[in-house]
Amino acid sequence: MKRILALALTLALAPVFCAAGGPPAAKQAGIEAKDYKWNAQEGEKIEALKLKGNAKEGKEGYEVCGACHLPSGAGRTDGTFPQLAGQHTTVLIKQMADIRAGLRDNPTMYPFAKELTDAQELANVSAYIESLCIPIDHGRYEGPDSAKQIADGKAMYEKECIECHKPNGEGVKDKFYPVLAGQHYKYLLRQMTEIRDGKRRNANPDMVTIIKKYDNSQLVAISAYQASLVMPGSMCKAGAAKPAKKK
Amino acid sequence: MKTKLLLTATLLAFASGAAVADGAALYAEKTCIACHGKEGRKALTPTYPKLVGQNAAYLEQQMRDIKSGARANGSSAAMKGVMVNPEGDEIVTDKDIKELALYLSKLK
Repeated sequence: MKRILALALTLALAPVFCAAGGPPAAKQAGIEAKDYKWNAQEGEKIEALKLKGNAKEGKEGYEVCGACHLPSGAGRTDGTFPQLAGQHTTVLIKQMADIRAGLRDNPTMYPFAKELTDAQELANVSAYIESLCIPIDHGRYEGPDSAKQIADGKAMYEKECIECHKPNGEGVKDKFYPVLAGQHYKYLLRQMTEIRDGKRRNANPDMVTIIKKYDNSQLVAISAYQASLVMPGSMCKAGAAKPAKKK
Repeated sequence: MKTKLLLTATLLAFASGAAVADGAALYAEKTCIACHGKEGRKALTPTYPKLVGQNAAYLEQQMRDIKSGARANGSSAAMKGVMVNPEGDEIVTDKDIKELALYLSKLK
């Protein structure tokens, strides 16, 4: 009964928030819910996934994104904003849809995800981002023990992460597994920690099961290794951050 | 005397010009521009404020309060994320805040 009341209240209040352009981002049951189904093939994401994105047209739409993620897609080395260049369109579309649907909590990104409602534009922008070469001057683990951290991380990565995220951090496009190569160390560490701790509510339960047993220091080592990965052919050349492949 | 005055005036003008350039760079670097638009003239959505020409003291207070969490209403959650990262590390310093406030207040 309480739940129904809460739902009714939410529904009643929803238009008010919308009218006020309200900040409370949408909230949808995620991994904390019993009946959570990862990457349920439903909602607006399906439409964008089906469409063929036009990278050329997506360039214009990306301008807004570039204010935070930079025109190169590099994001920020301090991990505040993730590196996007070269990411799979599937991953980009799913994350945008999840943020918009309130399945992945990100108050800073939410207002932008909310604006980008046109499926074709979403497909275009994603295609543009995917076509960018991966910048090589991203944030890495910086410490006197980085060689050891990377070596330790490699051993763990090759045991359990490699199956899905692949030897060079390529991920798997049609399975929505993200590219990790070129990602900022601090962003990787934050995401892994949040996935382990149930804070990334759109996480893949299979990954949660695997990552649960790793402690903070192990995640540091794994992140350090991931941030050192290189995908041959997809990385930007030194001193240049231009689209690698035209589509 | 006149030369000295002229020199001072030139230096002052130069300094304030440099401050504007620094402010504009900071405004882009700290991603304010993404939501509030170039020079704070055009917000992403109508519920976000225009900042151009706003009082420096007001801007500074709001930025400080959003950063500290003292102000948590409206869309401040979206803005807090660009001032302090989830680990609690400062992204926009108090010095940056002062500089940004000054830059925006001087725009016409």
